[in-house]
Amino acid sequence: MWYDNFSKRTLNLHLRSEKIQVEEFLTKQNLDLDREVEYTVAFFDRGKMIATGSLGGRILKCIAVDEKYQNMGLSTAVVSDLIQKAYSKGRTHLFIYTKPENKNIFADLGFYLIAEVPSKVILMENRPFGIKNYLKEIRKGEKDQLLKNQDREGVGAVIVNCNPFTLGHQYLIEYAASKCQTLHVFVLEEDKSSFPAGIRYRLVKEGVHHLDNVVVHQGRDYIISEATFPSYFIKESQTIVETHAKLDLELFTKYIAPTLGIQKRFVGDEPYCKVTAAYNTVMQEILPVDGIGIEVLPRMEYGGQPISASRVRRLIREGRLSDVKKLVPETTYRFLLSDEAEETIQQILGGP
Amino acid sequence: MLMLQERVKIEEVGIAGTCESSDITIHIEKNDGRGIELELRSTVENQFGKQIKKVILETLQELGVEDALVVAKDKGALDCTIRARVRTAVSRATHHDCFPWEAK
Repeated sequence: MWYDNFSKRTLNLHLRSEKIQVEEFLTKQNLDLDREVEYTVAFFDRGKMIATGSLGGRILKCIAVDEKYQNMGLSTAVVSDLIQKAYSKGRTHLFIYTKPENKNIFADLGFYLIAEVPSKVILMENRPFGIKNYLKEIRKGEKDQLLKNQDREGVGAVIVNCNPFTLGHQYLIEYAASKCQTLHVFVLEEDKSSFPAGIRYRLVKEGVHHLDNVVVHQGRDYIISEATFPSYFIKESQTIVETHAKLDLELFTKYIAPTLGIQKRFVGDEPYCKVTAAYNTVMQEILPVDGIGIEVLPRMEYGGQPISASRVRRLIREGRLSDVKKLVPETTYRFLLSDEAEETIQQILGGP
Repeated sequence: MLMLQERVKIEEVGIAGTCESSDITIHIEKNDGRGIELELRSTVENQFGKQIKKVILETLQELGVEDALVVAKDKGALDCTIRARVRTAVSRATHHDCFPWEAK
């Protein structure tokens, strides 16, 4: 092959010297080294770095090729290596974030465009049916739900992480459900929260069981996931957050809302987390443009303070389970007392 | 040509091949009861698209695969390469060795 005289090497970013080398190379290409990187590969021409790429979870990132070495197939070589690495770890559904001008390069490598924020960023995935299958799945979930709130009109949506499900979440969902015929609740799927995705989903389902016009969906990869909205999980600077929020909302308005006929999104206001607050601001700008209404609800309070999942986790950490009882529904409280919760509670006690 | 008698059921995701020139990436996963769905993207689709699809479908048939979702990303692979990649992908998706390395 023509690049026989180039050498390929895996970099160890725990070594300061190697990390600086990658950072300097990326800076020249107007890129920053992502914080969530677990594997980095680079190509060298006699000791000089000429191309690099990284993998973090299911996302290929920080891919760059030296200008003098472009059109030599190096980006293909980098992406091939990252894909092989991801596959060997059993990750087959991959995503790429890149600038819109690189769309064709990655399309040739088998990636399909799913969302775009013009002149900022595009999100691509390696499955042609990825988003389509997800839409099929949520439509099926809708059909399974037979009973509807006939005397109301409209379809609404609530998107929640529920780490864990509190009385605040329940209040938001109950309120929203009373305002529409069908309410779709999406629970984030990303396993970066203290409570595992499966448990969070189950606690929401149990907690809204009494509402017969509510359909609970799993958010999968397409609603505020590590792929569509990475800054939710790694707290980022303001401009990046806004771009990411736009990308996530693009997916929502382009695919999810039309599929289910969603006309309104309900959110709780966000007094603490800056990233969520920024997301809510962007949402209030974007959704009305696409004809989707939005209603922000003040948080439910207990003891003069808003109820939030982080407050619940703090109480768990302080070992005040009896206080937790006043902030969560019966179903969540019962779970917290069960054996199943032990691992999660241990993690909260040890974690931040 | 070797014919496997039993039907092979795809349970997991199997991937074989790279995205280098003259190779093809075959991605195969389960597709319960919906037959074989094939999505091809090729740099030489206009010239050889039909032939590539034919080779993939024939190979799957020989292996006894009846339901599968197949995504193929081709960079001008020869028929023998396509066959090899399909077989490997199926092997990985089924934990079933599709290559008759030794006579039994």
